[in-house]
Amino acid sequence: MKGPRKLIEGIGGGLVDTSRAAIELWLVYVGTIAGIIRGRRGGRPRGEIVRQMYSVGNRSVVFIIVTLGFIGMVMTYEACLQLQRVGIADYSQVGSQYIKLIVSDFGATLTGLMLATRVGAGIAAEIGSMKVTEQVDALRMSGVLPIDYLIVPRFIASVVMTNMLTTLGGTVMYAAGGLTAQYSFGVNPSLFYDLHLLRPRHLALMLIKATSYGAAIPVVAGFCGLRARGSSDGVGWATTAAVIGSSFAVIVLDFVISAGALFLFGGDL
Amino acid sequence: MQAAIRLRDVHKHYGRRDVLAGVSLDVPRGGRLGLIGPAASGKSVICKLVCGLEQPDRGEIETLGESVVGKREVQLGALRRRIGMLFQNYALFDFLSVEENVAFPLVQRGGMTPEAIAERVATRLRAVGLAGSEHKLTGELSGGMRKRVGIARATVADAELVIYDEPTAGLDPVTTQKIYDLLAADQQRTGATVLAVSSDVVALAKFVDEIAFLYHGHILYRGPAATIGDAPDPLVRQFVRGELEGPLRMEEQRA
Repeated sequence: MKGPRKLIEGIGGGLVDTSRAAIELWLVYVGTIAGIIRGRRGGRPRGEIVRQMYSVGNRSVVFIIVTLGFIGMVMTYEACLQLQRVGIADYSQVGSQYIKLIVSDFGATLTGLMLATRVGAGIAAEIGSMKVTEQVDALRMSGVLPIDYLIVPRFIASVVMTNMLTTLGGTVMYAAGGLTAQYSFGVNPSLFYDLHLLRPRHLALMLIKATSYGAAIPVVAGFCGLRARGSSDGVGWATTAAVIGSSFAVIVLDFVISAGALFLFGGDL
Repeated sequence: MQAAIRLRDVHKHYGRRDVLAGVSLDVPRGGRLGLIGPAASGKSVICKLVCGLEQPDRGEIETLGESVVGKREVQLGALRRRIGMLFQNYALFDFLSVEENVAFPLVQRGGMTPEAIAERVATRLRAVGLAGSEHKLTGELSGGMRKRVGIARATVADAELVIYDEPTAGLDPVTTQKIYDLLAADQQRTGATVLAVSSDVVALAKFVDEIAFLYHGHILYRGPAATIGDAPDPLVRQFVRGELEGPLRMEEQRA
């Protein structure tokens, strides 16, 4: 009897913990929105948003450019190679389909995934180490709301910079793809850089995705940091959980937003 | 006289362990109470419960006349600004300088000019013997210096209630005495209520009026600090005197 009882207790305990974590995550999100509305009354330090923009944006520029540039080259190379293998030497559609894909999906999602690892880990480690060294409690003792002080500036910075990095990363990806097509398969640049298939709805989709990812990453990472317990192992757990959680959030949001867009526009997307 | 701290039948558990199992405690306004007990007996938990940093499983807690039970963070801000707290591990902000750390509660409280804050911070740092270290980052300080920065931060706003969690742990005897002299002078100047947790019972007894002994989730004894060594309870006597023989098990004596 002991075995089944332990199993049921384990499953029940896991469900309770997961539900509690989901509620806490939701409360962090609501608290962040409330913190934005409260402004500096919640104790947000002056100039912190600009500092975080530098940390999230400027420090990620090289990482994003290099990563998306290489992915752009590989994607174009593979697309042209597959066309060549099946005996279709017409590359006229590669560039116009490619920019549509970058704008409506890959630019924002790949940038989001990259930021989930770099920025998510950084936020969780920073807040997690403050949590385990009681610095978060010290903030609370001064009447400061930890979410307002720690998460709100990162949230605003992340939303703004994810949009900017998506635009930059997408541009680099497109340019790198064009150069690859030109030098590897002799595709005429004027043929590749053809924007006639691009519609405003694709740009809207990019903005919605980049904004959603930019909002999700600091909330998930900040939540993981605030849940850190113990000492350095707690910070390590928080960092790992933040990277996994933020990446997962980006993928799930990509699916949900893409499904929504497909539902709205159908095959015309 | 209204109590500054009032705990009634407070219970708190972590995992399967009942840390507090019905603690009741009063500290009068302006009073100085020392809290002692074996390691992991819940002394720091009481400190955190008093300021609402933790919530009890059940029981009532009133701090400076306000209930802290069931309150949200936003509702506790004003009360916490009336409390100064020295954390066991200092909890200094590692991204701020010594000066900015000490000024933090004043800046957050508002109502003072930057010049007045700077003057108050300089006075406080002189009092704890850290004049000249204003611009250092906390990572550049020794453990004793960090402790003194923590004390300066806890007392800079002249709080109505000051909580010291191990104010002299890891300090040499001379510095310990200096710190307690400083805390006593501060308390006499401001008339603040003090709750102090310490393992150094001898030094603590010179600073506080009364000492309470926390054991197995209960306040086992409370009496005058001056006569704590002669407490009627053999457990308390053994703990205070640091004797190996007695009802207190070895592992519980490691405070």
